[in-house]
This record gives sequence, structure tokens and C-alpha cells, in this order.
Amino acid sequence: MSASEEKTKEVSEETAGKGADKSKEPSNAGIIFIFFVLGLGVSIMVGWILFPKVLYSQKEQPFDFNHENHMLMVDNGCQSCHFFREDGTFSGAPKLEQCIDCHYDIHGGSEDEIIFHEQYVANNLEVPWLIYYKQPNCVFFSHAAHVINAEMDCRTCHGDIGESTSLPVYEYNRLSSYSRNIWGQNIAGLKRNTWDRMKMSDCSDCHQRNNVNQNSVQTLKGPCFVCHK
Amino acid sequence: MEKGHNTTFKRYGMVIDLDKCTGCGACMVACMQENNVPFKKDETDKIRSITWIRVYKLNNGKPYPDTEICYLPRPCQHCSGMGDHGHSPCVSVCPATATDYGMDTGIVSQIYTRCFGCRYCMVACPYHVRHFNWWDPVWPEGMENYLSPNVSVRMRGVVEKCSFCYHRYQLARERAFVQGRKDIEEHEYQTACTQACPAKAITFGDLINPAHAVYELKNSPNAFQLLERLQTYPKVYYLSDRLWVRMAGDNYLEEEKREMAQAKIKR
Amino acid sequence: MKLSRRCFLSFSLGTTVGITLSPLPWKITDDLSIWTQNWPWTPVPRDGAYSLENSACTLCPGGCGISVRKVDHRAVKIDGMKDHPVNDGGICILGASGLQYLYGPFRLPSPLKRVGERGEGRWKNISWKQALTEVSEKLSEIRSNGEPEKVAVISGKKEGTIACLLERFLTVYGSPNFMTPSTVEDSYEAALHLMQGSRASVGFDFENADFVLSFGSGILEGWGSPVKIFQAIGKLKKDGSVIQVEPRLSNTAAKSDRWVPINPGTEAAMIMGVAHVIIREKLYDENFINTSTSGFQKYQSLVMEDYSPEKVSVITGIASSQIVAIAREFAKASKPIAICGRGEGRIAGNVHETMAVLALNALKGNFNREGGLWSVPKPDYIKWAEAKPDQTALEGLEKGRIDGAGSKEYPFMTSLLDRFPKMINEENSYGIQALLVSNANPLYTMPDTEAVKKAFEKIPYIVSFSSFMDETAQFSDILLPNPIYLERYEDVPTAAMYKKPVLNLTKPVVKPLHNTINTGDIIIKIAKSFGGSIADAFKWRDYETCLKETLGAQWEILKKQVVTEDKNFVANSPALETNAGKFQFVADDVNKSQNSKAGIPHFEDLGINGAAGNFVLIPYDSMPLSTGYVASAPFMLKVVSDKALYHQDTVVQINPETALILGLKEGSYANLETSVGSARVKVTLYDGIMPNVIAMPSGLGHTAYDDYMGNGKGVNINQVLGVVEDPVTGLNAAWGIRAKFSKA
Repeated sequence: MSASEEKTKEVSEETAGKGADKSKEPSNAGIIFIFFVLGLGVSIMVGWILFPKVLYSQKEQPFDFNHENHMLMVDNGCQSCHFFREDGTFSGAPKLEQCIDCHYDIHGGSEDEIIFHEQYVANNLEVPWLIYYKQPNCVFFSHAAHVINAEMDCRTCHGDIGESTSLPVYEYNRLSSYSRNIWGQNIAGLKRNTWDRMKMSDCSDCHQRNNVNQNSVQTLKGPCFVCHK
Repeated sequence: MEKGHNTTFKRYGMVIDLDKCTGCGACMVACMQENNVPFKKDETDKIRSITWIRVYKLNNGKPYPDTEICYLPRPCQHCSGMGDHGHSPCVSVCPATATDYGMDTGIVSQIYTRCFGCRYCMVACPYHVRHFNWWDPVWPEGMENYLSPNVSVRMRGVVEKCSFCYHRYQLARERAFVQGRKDIEEHEYQTACTQACPAKAITFGDLINPAHAVYELKNSPNAFQLLERLQTYPKVYYLSDRLWVRMAGDNYLEEEKREMAQAKIKR
Repeated sequence: MKLSRRCFLSFSLGTTVGITLSPLPWKITDDLSIWTQNWPWTPVPRDGAYSLENSACTLCPGGCGISVRKVDHRAVKIDGMKDHPVNDGGICILGASGLQYLYGPFRLPSPLKRVGERGEGRWKNISWKQALTEVSEKLSEIRSNGEPEKVAVISGKKEGTIACLLERFLTVYGSPNFMTPSTVEDSYEAALHLMQGSRASVGFDFENADFVLSFGSGILEGWGSPVKIFQAIGKLKKDGSVIQVEPRLSNTAAKSDRWVPINPGTEAAMIMGVAHVIIREKLYDENFINTSTSGFQKYQSLVMEDYSPEKVSVITGIASSQIVAIAREFAKASKPIAICGRGEGRIAGNVHETMAVLALNALKGNFNREGGLWSVPKPDYIKWAEAKPDQTALEGLEKGRIDGAGSKEYPFMTSLLDRFPKMINEENSYGIQALLVSNANPLYTMPDTEAVKKAFEKIPYIVSFSSFMDETAQFSDILLPNPIYLERYEDVPTAAMYKKPVLNLTKPVVKPLHNTINTGDIIIKIAKSFGGSIADAFKWRDYETCLKETLGAQWEILKKQVVTEDKNFVANSPALETNAGKFQFVADDVNKSQNSKAGIPHFEDLGINGAAGNFVLIPYDSMPLSTGYVASAPFMLKVVSDKALYHQDTVVQINPETALILGLKEGSYANLETSVGSARVKVTLYDGIMPNVIAMPSGLGHTAYDDYMGNGKGVNINQVLGVVEDPVTGLNAAWGIRAKFSKA
């Protein structure tokens, strides 16, 4: 107790004696504030710019693909290649067999066409496409329920991929291994388009807006089993 | 409550004829194969043995030669709770929203990725239908090849239970949608155990739809439910023409048993 | 400017605030929690296009149709085939486990050659070329020594092209020794032959019967074609009744309208007792007896003399009033069926008992009509040109069979596998130099395991065609794995105990997973390597061609619909084939030198081996435990009660009264000893079993396969069971064994 009393005394004496140095004080506080801002700036940079770069890794598609070109040549839009099977399940990315229906030999001389033929058709190997909107294993997603029953447009969830001339970069999360299209393009979680993000909350929000099956006892929203398996 | 896109609410349930059940266990295996249920080298410790449907052996408690036995297959009872509010024992206690009751089907769901393994539901369930994964499932080399993509493989630390093969309902609906129908027929959605049963002892369907076979069957004078007096309102009904079997469905006092026996004689 | 502590603190505060304002902590938390939901070691089954493919199951002789669900090229589920005449959509526990056999690690990956000692488990991968050359060389060496009869085949199948190819090969090679495991069907066949003169299988029309009187048959424990019978019994329970006469409250007994406990082994006396009451009260079908039977007088006098309810009551322990009541119920029914054959029918049984049951059915004339017993002719679609054995082969064939079937002693028998180990061990036969085993696992399934093993040790060369590393494969010298039924073509004729002839075709639903060759192809290849008359008998290019030619027009139909059934099939009148043109109550061609009653249905106590002990050990069968060629799959073992298997111990059932006397409690260990072997077992108290009888589960105690398939789990009941030869047929008639039983 005595030590602190002494200190107080000292300080008050100092203040009294060095009245002329008063102007120095705000600059000291300023330095401290500058450090605060510096810290804030660094961490914001790390958090908003560096972190997403580290967290997401990029993967190359086996070769590029021009959706627009294909759309011009088929009669039935997306469903020409991404079709429903008779049992109601959805075929997803086309299998080699489907591709070679048309591409039985090399069409045009693009580099991608040659890769396709030399590496896959010649060896009878399926093309290991990376699926942008692949939902995790715990999810049951029914294309039939959305596209046929609810008459939704493909672009609502998939955007304008159908008009693209080349495939976007596939990014995946290093921790969860989910595609970036699932978690959301915007690192802040902002959503400009309906297809920007496909997390559980996005599904559930849309279901809520459209009043789909809102009769879960737990959540009063959609029952868990509607989308989970 | 709003009905959304669904035209009708359903209450899926089962009626199991115990006089037909032979206790062969085909339902258990069909279920395990359908739902990716794992197995261990030693499955003789039945408390730790994961089975979504289990066949119990009941006996009338009488000595030789008056002994009688009866088999009772027990899937999840998919309790409706009082007043059909869906407050089944497990749903009410789950702190993680991992188990849910859908008013559209009346099926109690279990979401493995949501479950954090507190096991409250196992304590709450009076039917022991829930099992905890104490270990990660391991398949002998090569056997993971038969796993079905329709049901998630569970991991260590979560609870699992019978889903009335909900994925079959989903797949049946998809088929109906591409055929331009909104609703599915009775035969389109049948659980794996129902389909497999060689004795045809299990009947599955919508309990509130008069066109479904279960609708009539559940009203049989020989029908009973397990632990009726707990008022969990299970959706699995059992049939037996033997009084002692029907009385085995709940813990009756000796006096009550006598009364029930007398009532039966009068009828 | 001085960097003070405050500056540092301020910087830290700034970063903290900044981090919280950035997505970093929130996103990491979210991603980490997702990471914990997707452990890399948890398998993720790949999705794809779904398809259903129909085929036939061959895991048991039931002859069921299956629907295999596939995701792309993977099989993920086996269900029963809808509208199949045998199982109509249902499936049994074994059939439902089929994929575990397909994908299991206990499958044989390629041909293997033994390198260590026999049974040691050290193997070398060899090429198919080498494997086939070695086998061919070995066989041609034996033949060139002029001893072709010293090659034997044990085939799990009696009928169908694979069995016929094996038998044909042996014939042109020069050996008569084609053996098949015997079951109760063999006893029925023998009895049908003796009493009706027919060479036919028995079929039971349970679906249309209104009363079933079963003498110990485990009709719900795997008997015949299980799914068919389950469905029929379910129906029968509603519209008719079932009475089960058995020492133990089995599942069949539990599902019957009445369980009648009986002293083990005395079922034949009970059958005769029931017949006595029916004859005494003139409740039989007089018209049928007068017009379609012969020998009734002789049968009647024996029945009346020896089997009054009072006498039978003493033997069986069943009250005489109950015998009379059962007899009257049986007689009153319009379509009653009486059956015998214990458990699932693994043991052939005493032929006089089977004859007694046929006679009882004859009293009601319930033959070859709806709701009765049917004589189902042997499949006749295999019409190959007759094989022409050369001189060496003819000499070999003349030596006669090692098991004595077809000899003077057992003239009308075609195979007596249960006598085989004895004949080899006694060394008064010519011995066997090479044994080929197909679709069978005799080292596990045959009674008195020790004796079988001893016999096998004396056979210098054993070849197994098994798909799995089973007990016999483990003890073989060379393994030539067959693809399993989901990977191959094969014809599956007749469903066990089904009333109509059906023909199934099993077909590949997945690509073969391993380096396997169909046994049919192997035989054709080996035969061709011999050249001469042997190769001449096998003109087909390969097995598929053989099958296609054999089935003719049916091939395409079967490929499309899996099964053909002769819907309009009507069995011949029973009596037409015998000499007298009638059903014979008394069989003529039975050697009466040892027993004056031989040939007339009667009860005889053949005795069960050993005088050891005051207890009687009986085996019991159950659906989850496979007792045959394939062991129970992991899924099936999971279903097995902890009152049959607990950890590594077999649990036997005893009456609480017996337990009290022996000082045993639930879960106690006990020592079981018979004249054949001994075992340490656990005890469970069961009110549903007679005092002084011990019931032991069959199907446990494998010593091969792997830990998931029951290796080392429990005791193989065949280690403690013996063989008792039926004097007329030579088949095994041991229904149990005497045992010493005491607290361990």
C-alpha cells in the first residue's frame, strides 16, 4: 500500500513540475491509437483477403467445356444432357457413354476435344468432372421435386452456367472439402443471386418463403428428413 | 399448421401380425443391408449391437410343458405423442434438433450430422429403439462396396435408429413426380422389412388412409401397442389372438391381467 | 518514438477487434464443425444409376428368385423376386445376406496351391494354366496306374448341369464315386421308391392343406424352401391347423396351434399310434385303401398289435387321450399332411419312420392332389448323348462304389456320403487317391468331424472348387475357385420339397470380382486335356455353350424371366409305378434277414451311439445359423440370439428342473461329453424343453472363413454327433446322441 502511495505522489509531482511538456501527451495516445488501427488493419486484411485465399484451394477441371456451344446444338435445353432417369432420379453430369453418342470421333480440333478423346474415350474412362453444386453426403436433394413438381428453373440454383463458354474455377474448402458454390462465393456471406450459396439456411429460407412443407415439430420449418438422409 | 405443397398429410405406420411372425430375422438383415447398418466381429452383447429392427422373444412365463413363446419384431415406434402434436419422447428431449417429427408423414427422423451424442433420446425412448455408435463403423475389406448411397453412413459418437426407410419414400415421390403425379400409391412406399418378410407378417401404409390395408388392420380387436399407457401413441400396431401376448405389450398388474382375461371371456 | 507495452497491447486489441470483424473465426468454426461430420475414414457410398436385375439364389436348395438392386455396377441389395412361383417377393435371412458373400474378404481371389502343411493355411498364388495342368496331370497319373475308381467327387448339388458334368466326367474317367450329402429328401426318395416304386422327389402342398401334423420337422427352421413354407404356414394358421410333435418348443412348435412334447427319437411310434386310432375307428379313406393300395392287411395287423395308444404312450410319453385326439383331428381334416424329418432335414433319418409317415398319409389317400403329398419327377431337361467309357473306365466302374450305394446291401441307393469316412478309415475298401469337392464343405457339415478329418488325411490329393476359404478348402491341396452365384450362369432345377417342377437360371448380375473360373468350364477343360473318349464326352466349347444347348429353347426364356414352372403339372397316380400298380403298405424289396418287420412301417429304436451318460443331446436348427456349405454371414450372426451364442461360447438349452439337479444356473459353464467328442458349453434355462434333454444349436463353431464369419465362435455340433446307419438305406439315422453333462 505504501508503495502505491509513493507512486501517486511521484506522478503528481511530475505533472506539476513538467507543465511545459503537456503537449506531448496526445501524441503518445496517438501512437497507441495508430497501433490499434495498424492491428485492426492487419487482421482485417488477413481475415478478409489472405484467409479466404488460404482456406480455399483451387482444382482444375479435367478439361474445359463450353456450355453455350452445346446448348445451341440440343433440342431440350439442360435436360438434353442432364436428364431424369425413368425412376425419377437425376443423372447429373453426363457419363462417357452419353458424350460419345455425338462425340464418336474428334469434332473440331480444340485442345479440350483432343484431351477428351485421347485420355478418356480412348481408355474408356469416365471424365472425373468436379461438381460445383454437389451437396454433402448427408443431404438428399431431389431434382424431380424442384424442377418437375415445383417447376423451378435450373438457373435459380445453377445460375447462368448454361450460357457460359468456359468452366469457372472449381474452389473447395480445405477444411470441409465442400465446393465454394455451396458455402457462398462472397466471403462476407452476402448473397446477390439465388445461386450464390446453397447452405442449409438457403434451402430452408426458400422453403419457408414458398411455404413448402413447413411442419417440423422441432423448428416449425421444414422437417429435417425433407432434405437430410 | 400450413400444408405447403403437400396435398394430404400422412401417418405412416405398421401392423405386425405376431401370429405369423416366425422370428426368422429376415427383417433384421434386410434392414441392415438397406440402411448400411454396420456389424462387428462379436455381436453377442445385444445392448451394444446396433439393429434398427430387433426381434424379441417373449414367453408366457409358464413351466414345461405349458410354455409358449412368441416373437415380437420392434422397429422404431414413431410415436405421435399426445394429441398427435409430434412430441414423441425423443423429439422432446433432443437439445441439438437432431431428431425431428414431420407432420407431413408422422415419421421421426434422426440426422446424424446434427447429433452430438448426448444420448438423452436413448434415455427418453421407452422402446430401446435407439443405438449409440460407440465405435466408427468398419467394414471388412471389400464389403464397403455394397453400401447404399441412399442412407448416410454413420460415424462414431452419434445415435441412430429406424427411419421407416424414409429414403424409399423420397425415391417413390421422385418417381411419381416424373410421371406427373403428386402423390404416391400404397405399394410404392414399403419398408425393407415389410418387403422382405417371408411370412408376410408386416403390413405398412398410411394409418389414416382408409384405402390402405393398415387402416382396417389396426382396428382389429386383437390389435395392441407397446406400453400403450405411457401415451406415446406409437404408430406400430401388433396383432395376436393370444391374450398373454397382448398383455405382454405393457406392464400390467396381476389384478389388471385377471380383469382383462375376464373381459376377454365375456366378449 | 518508443514502442511501449501499451503500443503492443493496443496492437493486440486492434487485431482482436479486426479478426472479430472479419469472417475468419466464424467461418473456421463453421468449417471445423463440418469437418467433424465428414471423417475421412467414414465411407461415402457412390451414387449412380439404379437398376434391378432378377436372378436365382443358390445359397440353399430352396430355389427362390431374387431381385438384385444395383447402383451403376455395384450390387447394394438383394430382395425377393416378385411373382416368383416359389418365394413371391419374400426372402429369407440367408438370401438377404447374399452380398456379404459376394464382397467378403474370405473369398478366394485366384487359384491357390498349398505350400505349407495341410490345413496350415500357407498358400501360393498360381496361374489358372498351372492349376489346371497340375490337376489334369494328377488325374491322368491315377488313371494310367489303372486305378480310376480311386477318384471321388463330393458335390453339394445332386441335379443340374454342374452336378451332371462332374458325374459324366467321373463316368468316362472310370470312377463310380460321385457322392452327394444326404438329407431327409433322400429318405423320402427311398421311401417313395419302396412304397410307390417311383424315382421321384417329395413335394408338400402346404398352401392348400388344411391340417399339418409334423413329427419334429422344423418347417419354420429352414426346412425345404423356407420362404414358400413360411407363407403357406401363415395362411394355414388362419384357415387350418398345425400340430408339432417334438421334444423341444422350437419356432415351428411355437407357431403351431399345439406343441406336443415327445420323448426324443420315438416319433415313429407316435406315427404308428395315430395310424392305430385311425384304423381302429375306421376313419381312413376306405375307397383309396381298397382300390389304390396293397399290403394293407399286413400293415394293419402290425399297427393293431403293437401300437395301441396305451403302448405308444409308454414309449413316447404322450398321454393316450392326446394320441386319440390328434388322430381324430387328422382324420377329420379333408386335406391333412403328415410329415417327418427332424429340424431342417440335414439328417436323412430312419427310413421306416419315413415309410410310417407315408403310410399315415396313405390312410387319408392324400397323394398327388391339392393339399397333399406329391411325387415330383426328377428334372429331365438334361438330355446329353450317352457318354461312352473306354476299357480303362469300364474296369474302374466295375469296382463298385466305395460308399456301398447300389451294392447288394443298399441296392436302390445312389449315394451314401455319410458312410464314406467310415469306409476309408476302416481300410477294407480300395481307398481314394484324389477327391474333388464342389459346392460342399464336408469337413464342417458331416457328423463326427474327427472321423471325417481322419479320412481326409488319408486322401493324398484334395481339390476344392469352393468360392470361399471354408474348412474343406483349408484342408485341400489345390483350390480352383468358382465365381459366386451373382457372377455366373447356372441352372437351378427343382425347389426343395416344392410340389411342382421348377427350373431357375442364376445369371451374372455383377462382373466377377476375382480371378475365378466356373467349375463347369474347369471340368470341360480338364476333360479336353485327356483327349480320347473323355474329351469326346465333352464336345462343348465352354460351359455357357453347354448350358445353352442343354436348355435349348428355354435358355432365352430363362434369361429373360429367371424361372419356368410347369403350371399344369399333375403328378402321376401314385400307384402306377409299382409292380402291383398300387401304393404298397409293405415294401417287397427289403432284406428281411435281420428284422422280420423290415419293409413294414414300424418304430424301431436304432439306438444312438454311445452309452455315455444319462442325457440326450439333440441338435436344433434355426434360420440365422446356416448349417450347410456356406457359413452364416456377419449379418446373420448378428441376429443369432445371445441364448445360442455368447461371445465365443455355444449356449445349450436345458430345462430348469435339470439345471437344478445338476446345480447349474443361467450362464453357468458345463462339460458335455459324448462317445464322439466333448465340448465346454454355457447353459441357458429354457422351459420349452423336456427335462434331461440338451438342445444344442447347429451351425456354429467354424474353424475357417474369418472372424466376421464365425471362425472360432462356439462349437460345431458335428464334433459331438455321430452316425447311425439305417440298415435298409445306409443313410444316417442319428437324431441325437447320449451325453454326459455336468457342471464345469
